[in-house]
This record gives sequence, structure tokens and C-alpha cells, in this order.
Amino acid sequence: MPEISSDQYLALFRDMWRVRKFEQALEREFKRGKVPGMLHIGLGQEATLSAIAHTLRKEDGIFPDHRCHGLLFLKGTPGKQIMAELFGRATGICSGKGGSLHSADASVNNFGDNGVQGSYMVTALGVALGWKMQGKNSLAAVVVGDGTAGRGEWHESMNLASVWKAPVLFVCVNNGYAISTSVGASHATEDLVDFAKAYKIPAIQVDGNDILAAYQATQEAAAHIRAGKGPYFVEYKTWRWQGMFSGEFRPAEEVKYFKEEHEPITMAKADLHKKGIASLEQLDAIEKEVEAEIEGWVAYAQESPMPDPAKATANVYVGWEVESWQS
Amino acid sequence: MAVITTVQAINEALGLMMAEDQRVYCLGEDIGKMGGDFGVTRGLFDEFGGERVRDTPLSEAAIVGAAVGSAMVGMRPVAEIMFADFIGTCYDQIVNNAAKVHYMFDGQFKAPIVLRTACGGGFGGGPHHSQQVEGWFMNVPGLVIVAPASPYDAKGLMITSIEDDNPILFLEHKALYRQKGEVPEGKYTVPLRQAKVVRPGKDVTVVTCMKSVHDALAAAQELEADGVSVEVIDLRTLRPWDHQTVLESVARTGRAVVVNEAPKTGGLGADISAVISEEAFSYLKAPVARICGFDTPIPFSLPLEKLILPDKDRVKQGILKVLGK
Ligand SMILES: Cc1ncc(C[n+]2csc(CCOP(=O)(O)OP(=O)(O)O)c2C)c(N)n1
Ligand SMILES: [Mg+2]
Repeated sequence: MPEISSDQYLALFRDMWRVRKFEQALEREFKRGKVPGMLHIGLGQEATLSAIAHTLRKEDGIFPDHRCHGLLFLKGTPGKQIMAELFGRATGICSGKGGSLHSADASVNNFGDNGVQGSYMVTALGVALGWKMQGKNSLAAVVVGDGTAGRGEWHESMNLASVWKAPVLFVCVNNGYAISTSVGASHATEDLVDFAKAYKIPAIQVDGNDILAAYQATQEAAAHIRAGKGPYFVEYKTWRWQGMFSGEFRPAEEVKYFKEEHEPITMAKADLHKKGIASLEQLDAIEKEVEAEIEGWVAYAQESPMPDPAKATANVYVGWEVESWQS
Repeated sequence: MAVITTVQAINEALGLMMAEDQRVYCLGEDIGKMGGDFGVTRGLFDEFGGERVRDTPLSEAAIVGAAVGSAMVGMRPVAEIMFADFIGTCYDQIVNNAAKVHYMFDGQFKAPIVLRTACGGGFGGGPHHSQQVEGWFMNVPGLVIVAPASPYDAKGLMITSIEDDNPILFLEHKALYRQKGEVPEGKYTVPLRQAKVVRPGKDVTVVTCMKSVHDALAAAQELEADGVSVEVIDLRTLRPWDHQTVLESVARTGRAVVVNEAPKTGGLGADISAVISEEAFSYLKAPVARICGFDTPIPFSLPLEKLILPDKDRVKQGILKVLGK
């Protein structure tokens, strides 16, 4: 794998910041009661999202999971439309009908998440199969959480993707825990790549907090799939900043390690600086620019109107209205 | 016109649509060379090959998921779940994806799948190979449930279902698979959401579907000798079902019997009965009667199974009851 260019490295770095600032703004607004429903955020996992986003092309599909708000706009949808969706506004990408767990954008091949965690792992298989049957050279990437890897759908999908040589990119965000249960305590192996190998799918495990390692592994996986060789499995070992319900349940040294010593943005920043790609001032300027961009999206979402009430009964069926006796 | 079985009628519809439209393909367990447990896909593998008549393992969630995903990118899958009783293994895929992708993403995607499955009892299939499952899906907005009762409707409704843009659960009653009827060659359609008056009558309306249509027709035939005129309505689409045809009929006859093979509580029959009571109460000369399966699982032993499922005689009793006889 050739070294990446300075520009490419800086773009990866910027998008890590965009994910972080997006999630921080979102969490803040959620706590203020402006964002309804439930919220899971991807703080600490920015490198995995940036690596995935910079590997996928527009014609590739993405099935983002509940911590992948970042992927929603990195895939190409205007960020303000994503933010507005999470606020439940008319200007949201799904007119406010999907929210955090169901934000899709057909125009960039984002197929949306499932609130029933991981059900879409077989939908991704279907998208890949459809494209393969149509002779397209697109791949379908699906994000798999370590806890969610317990779903039968994952195993059914891996098996059939392997049998059908379907262009599925399984990107597994192994952050060590489901809600509170650790991966090793609930699966036969804490290295989920082992499962992929059993299904005869080429697989790699990589440090998901090391942006270059994550990016290069993802690139290799995509190249394999695009060469028509079938599915690939990438497992990112990473860590999420907060426990699901905000309280911290993990050992103090683990928290310290991932938040201070092995934190993806800090590591990338030091590396960019060390390699002479950018000065610390330049790197700090990126953070500031991104922050202004994201706050613009928040303002847009907040100023957007609520959905038209007619939307509540729209698009239940294709081509038929819900009849009055049904509503 | 050719006289063929329901199995052959559906098979013809699939073959026609696959020949006409490259996007149409089939997937399911043992549907390839073998042609499926009931022979519905027989011959299609030889004609269209393994890419378009795709054998899967026992992975029902993946069968439905692959169908939905491929439909979202423009394919027209016809997926088979071998027995309707197995559908719990892919319930989430049907309820939370197939039926919801169009709505939750506000129209950006659609999931035009046809999910065929063999249902119904009466042959000693026991608790896991005999059930009527429409009741499990009555509460699922976005889903369409189609259920033919004749070879003619089976072929026409299958063609319409493949062409329709909504996700369709296509129920094939096992007792009707070998039943024969006149079926035109070539392509024709039968509309969705339109019930059919299969026998006109004046005194009582029987609303039903699938195998029970034939029980109702037999009961009506016998009662004719006693001077009772029975109208029989075959719903054909069970969700959303055709309120208008049913209510118009009940307004004429003033009496209604709802016949449904599934357990009585909370099913299709309950909904039909409720709508008639809500919308046609002033026309009713007697309370609506429901003749349904008992609220039990389906027992294996044939005499026990016969006891719990509705048949011609119970339909007759229901009709006589609403007539006050
Ligand atoms: C099918 C299903 N089961 C349970 C839940 C509740 N739930 C939401 S997230 C979660 C844990 C997911 O863990 P993991 O896949 O590791 O993702 P992470 O949150 O760690 O990123 C659970 C149990 C759900 N939404 N769907
Ligand atoms: Mg996890």
C-alpha cells in the first residue's frame, strides 16, 4: 500500500474533526432537549468513520450504524440536512420521519440504519447481490457493532456473501462492549475476525484509533471487493467515549488510556506535526473551521420548520394513499 | 382455455414475468433444480439458470433481507418461505424493513418484493406446518397481503404482485395447490385490494378467503335447496382489504358471516367483523357471526385438527345462526 499524500492525510484528519464536532454539538443539543428520542454518539471512533468515508465512492452503498452520524454527511449529504433530520425537522433528509436511527439518502447510496440493531446486515447482502446481478461495480458497506455481531443476520449474511461472492464490505466497529457487556464475555472469541475466517471471507483486524492503519486496511478491503473477489471483513479495534447511558462503567486506566494516550485525533495531530505536514497552528485552525461549519448546521436545524402534518400519513404505500378508515 | 392447477398457474406467472423482465428473480430453499417443496418453481431453473433461480440455505432472514436490499436497488425478487409457519424467523425483516423502508425514509426507497409462502391446515401438518399467518401481519402498515382462492386468481394476482411497487406477502393455501381451474394462457392481471363476489345472493353475506371460500360455496350450494340465498365474497387481498365491496353487500343482505381459518382472537375475522359493526350497523338484522379456527395451536392428529378448523358444516351453522334458524 503506497504512502498517502499529505493532502489526503489532512482530509482524513479534517473529517475526524467534523465527526467529533458534529457529535459534540449533537450531544449538547440533546441534553438541552432540542433533539428528541434516543441518541448514541460516535465520539472516540472518528478514525474508523473517516477511513470508511474516504474509501467509499459515491456509487458504493453504506449502511451506517447508530454511532455513524458522521458517515451520513461524509457520504455526501449536506450536513445541515442530516442535522435537521436529527432535530426532526421538515428540512431533514427524510423529512424528519427517520431521525438518528433511520437517516437515509438514496442520492448518495446511503441506505440508512435500523433501530433494530443489525437487521440491515442482510439488506446489505441484498443490495450487493442486486448490483452484482446488474453488472455494476459498486460495493455495499455495512457497519457491524461488536455486540450486534451476535445477531443471526450477521452470520446469515456472511455465509451467503461468501457463497455468492457478493460485494459486501463488512466494517466492524469493535469498541469492546455492547451496552455494558464486553465482547469477550459474550462471543466465542473477542477477535471477531475469527468468525469471518470461518466463513472463508478475507479479514483483517486493525487499530481503529490509528487513522492511517484504519484507512489502509479499508482501502485494501475495497480493492479486493472491486476486483470482483467477493466480500471482505475489516475489524477496527476502537473504543467509544461514553457509556450508552452516559455513566462510566469501565476501569479508570482503560478510560485514561483511550481518552488521553491512545486518542485518535491527538495521535493523528502529533503524527502530522512530526512528519512536517502541517504546523500545530494550521492543525488547530482546522478544528476552528470545522466547529464554525457544524454550528452553522445546528443553527439551520433549529430554524427549520416542523414537518407538514400531511407527512404523517404519506408514503406508507407506493402509489396509494392511506385511506381514511386506516388512519 | 387450459385447465391447470394452482401450482401450475403460479409457475406460469413466474415464468412469464421472468422471461419478460430481467429484474425478476427467485430465491429460497430448494427452489432450484428441485422446484420447491410443492413444485411451484419447477422448470424455472432449467429455463433461467441458477443466478435467477437461487437456492439458499435455511436462512430465512437472509432470504427476505436479500430480497428487500436487491429490490431497493431496482430488482424484482420473488422470495419463497417454504412454509408460512417459518415466517417468525424473518418476521423482523418483513415488519421492520420490507414494510417500512418506504415510509421511514420518506419515499426515497421502495421494496417491491413478493414473498410467497405455503400456508393452511387440514392435512395433518401439525403445529408448525399448518398455520394461517395473516393475523400475524394485520397490524403492519405498509405491507400488502394477497391470498388467491382459484388458479385463475393465483396467476393474475402473482403477475400483478410482481409488477406492484409494494412489499407483498403472497399466501398460497396448500389445500388449493392441486385444485384445478380454467386459466388463460399468456399475461393478464387481477387487481389488488379488490374483493370478488364469487356467488351472488340475497339473504346472507359470507366474507372469506382462500380454502374457506370453497367451504362457503359448498355451504351456500346446500342451503340453496332450503331456500336460503347466500352471497360469498372472496377477499383476495387481505390487507388492506376491500371495505367497499363487503359493506355494499352487507347493506343489501343485512346479515354477515365472517369465515377465517386462523384462530378467532385478534385476526382478520375480528377486523372484518369490527368494520361491519362500525360502518353497517344500521343495516344489520343480526349480529355478525365469526366462524374461525379455535384459539388453539393446530394439533397433529387428523380428527383433532378437523375439530378446530372451520369447514362447510360450521359455515352452514354460522349462516343459519344469523338467519335465526
Ligand atoms: C435487535 C436489538 N437488540 C437490542 C437493542 C438495544 N441496543 C441498542 S445498542 C445495543 C448495544 C450494541 O452494541 P454494539 O453492537 O457493540 O454497538 P456499540 O453501541 O458498542 O457501538 C443494544 C443492546 C437494539 N436496538 N436492537
Ligand atoms: Mg460495541
